[in-house]
Amino acid sequence: MDFYKGNVLRIDMSTKTATVEPLNMEWAALYVGGKGLLFRYMWEYVPPMVDPWAPENPLFLMTGPFAGTNVSTTSRLVVGAKSPTTGILNDSYVGGSFAPEMKFAGYDAIIVVGKAVEPTVVTIRNDVVEFVPAKPKYWGMKTSEIEQALRDDFDAGAKTLSIGPAGETLNPWACLSTDQYHKAGRGGHGALMGSKNLKAIAIRGTGSVTVGDARAFLSDMERIHREFVLTDDNLWAHEEGTPILVDLVNGAGAMPTRNWSEGYFEGAKNLNSESFQKIRVKKRACYQCAIACRNVHAVNWHGARVVGEGPEYETIALGGANCGIDDIDALMKFNEECDQWGLDTISTGAVIGLAMDMTEKGIHDFGVRFGEGEKYVEMPGLISRKEGVGAELSLGVRRLCAKYGAPELSMEVKNLEMPGYDPRGAFGMSISYATSDRGGCHMRTYSVGDEILSGAVPAATMEGKVEGAISNRPPDFISQNFSSIKFCGIWCDFWAVNPLQVSQMLLHIYGRELSEDEVMLIGERVWNLGRLFNLREGVEADTLPKKLYSEKFAHTSGPSAGQAIGEATWADSLRRYYELRGWDAKGVPTEAKLSELGVDVRLPAGR
Amino acid sequence: MPHVMISRKKCTACHMCELACSLYHEGAYRPSVARLRSECNPTTTEIKGFTCLQTACAKCQEACPEGAIETRVVTLEPEGAFDSAAKFEGVSAGHVLVVDENKCSNCGDCYDACPYGVIHEHPERKVAYKCDLCDGTPQCIVFCQNPHVLAIDLKIDKADREPVTRA
Repeated sequence: MDFYKGNVLRIDMSTKTATVEPLNMEWAALYVGGKGLLFRYMWEYVPPMVDPWAPENPLFLMTGPFAGTNVSTTSRLVVGAKSPTTGILNDSYVGGSFAPEMKFAGYDAIIVVGKAVEPTVVTIRNDVVEFVPAKPKYWGMKTSEIEQALRDDFDAGAKTLSIGPAGETLNPWACLSTDQYHKAGRGGHGALMGSKNLKAIAIRGTGSVTVGDARAFLSDMERIHREFVLTDDNLWAHEEGTPILVDLVNGAGAMPTRNWSEGYFEGAKNLNSESFQKIRVKKRACYQCAIACRNVHAVNWHGARVVGEGPEYETIALGGANCGIDDIDALMKFNEECDQWGLDTISTGAVIGLAMDMTEKGIHDFGVRFGEGEKYVEMPGLISRKEGVGAELSLGVRRLCAKYGAPELSMEVKNLEMPGYDPRGAFGMSISYATSDRGGCHMRTYSVGDEILSGAVPAATMEGKVEGAISNRPPDFISQNFSSIKFCGIWCDFWAVNPLQVSQMLLHIYGRELSEDEVMLIGERVWNLGRLFNLREGVEADTLPKKLYSEKFAHTSGPSAGQAIGEATWADSLRRYYELRGWDAKGVPTEAKLSELGVDVRLPAGR
Repeated sequence: MPHVMISRKKCTACHMCELACSLYHEGAYRPSVARLRSECNPTTTEIKGFTCLQTACAKCQEACPEGAIETRVVTLEPEGAFDSAAKFEGVSAGHVLVVDENKCSNCGDCYDACPYGVIHEHPERKVAYKCDLCDGTPQCIVFCQNPHVLAIDLKIDKADREPVTRA
């Protein structure tokens, strides 16, 4: 079979057994791979209403059809599960080289169920799966240590997916790491893996991925890279990377600052692209990607060299501006600490910013205030070990706010802390956060591209934003429907693919040319399937912290001062969103919509 | 004679070269049998490239008891951008070392002799396989495509511009 391997590896941690099942090709035809195929497998294999912490709640690793080929940016892996943090679906994407190695080992997907009696490492060499005790050696290791240990002990060429100590203590925003700096960050998959007593999966594959006519495919890829990938539209990611966003987003008053109390950070110039270029030492790439966006930076922190890839914009925003930190050395150290302990930087920055805010406001003294770099870099370790103030901070933003009676400070959606764009400076992000299938996330529809980066549409209006969030109108707007097909691919955002390019790539899989409408329809099918899953499992109302839309809480200073969506407009926007989606007033997709899209599952009666 | 080299300073370890190499030679993406290698420690981000230097090294040829590694003329038609492109003006052919699979007994002497670890036993065919510059159009160079990277170069030694036949 071309592109797909046709195999799903099912690992049961409870019984220490591994079995191989054929990939469901009917689902692959409907949902392509990546996000779509993940959702279909989740629908089938997640027991309805399962307690996310229960051993029966599976962790899914899904590849895209192009993983293991030389199609740029498509080496990404999607880690999926019913998240123990949010209680709804969470699809978290990560680059690096794990997904291609899965394909070379013979698998399109890996499903992990059960819970091992003792901490365990799973090693996979092609069709040989072994369960290795993680104690005493591996349990407790930081992420770079576990990776190196498994390269030394198992296979020098092994690719690993592991948790740091934060995953072992079941931190609700513990992430999965691969190739050290690459994280499936959001939604607490690290905690889910930790709850299964699974420290790491190490995989080595020596097989192949076929693509039909090899020479013809190779020749087409040369053209596609030249015409579509290595263009000015994408090479900014190589030359500057996401720190380029700092000045732009801050300049629009949309950079979350001091726990979302402001939208403009006066210290941002110390954390902008120019500042990072001064400490840049080299470029790295994900597997099979010609763009090579990974910037390696180096600084000194108390006499010790801190070297690593990143930080990316979101880390700069949440770990920098949102904590009032303008010291690039401290930010680099924070990034390294989060990487090593295995914490998502967005949620970590959000919770530290909150603790600083509560301390400043006198709500509770966490011993750390805005801008205190020395104390702040200690927090990821304290949080991961649940030590000192870290024990409380590891509750996460929502539960911490509930505990101290300050719900108005809780900057999250569906218990996922929001990333680095304040909707008061980019109105479209309001609908993006509120209706995202995994909670407070910027990756499903990204209005910032048009509102701030290109400036193609005005930022301080809701006009056209709901339409844009759903489908590609205006055409450059990254919409939910389009990101859904894109994450089936799994294309990275740094190849700014459009429906036409997606169609040209899918031609190789389907053997026929899909119209742009058909491409978008697959995306909409995937989005609706995700909605059904969330409804089945019980999802909170689609909403946003009031601060971000109400007239009463507009910023009083900075470039976005005085801008507010307004309560009436916000309510109307949500209504319009459901209407345009073909969903009823409660956000349930109608039968007509599901039939039109060819979604092959239905909600059970009564859900 | 002509051979490819990976610059460890420029290489980003995207492995596009290995992927293209394997697809060209094996008809499938299979980097574990690529004819060249880029190794990266993901934590330190240190990168090392391993490529065959062809007749400029020829340790495999010297070690082979069967005379199975032949010096062959290859017509050079490099495509894509690479640093030394200008040096190939007017150079139409060069020599590469090629395994004659009929003669190879898979004794392994060349595997031990190769200083760069770029000649191996093929997992199915059970004979040695190595870089042959893709019949004159090295695919690793074609796919080291990012204009800001161009980590793979096609090299040619001055002394080797005239065809040389080693014993």
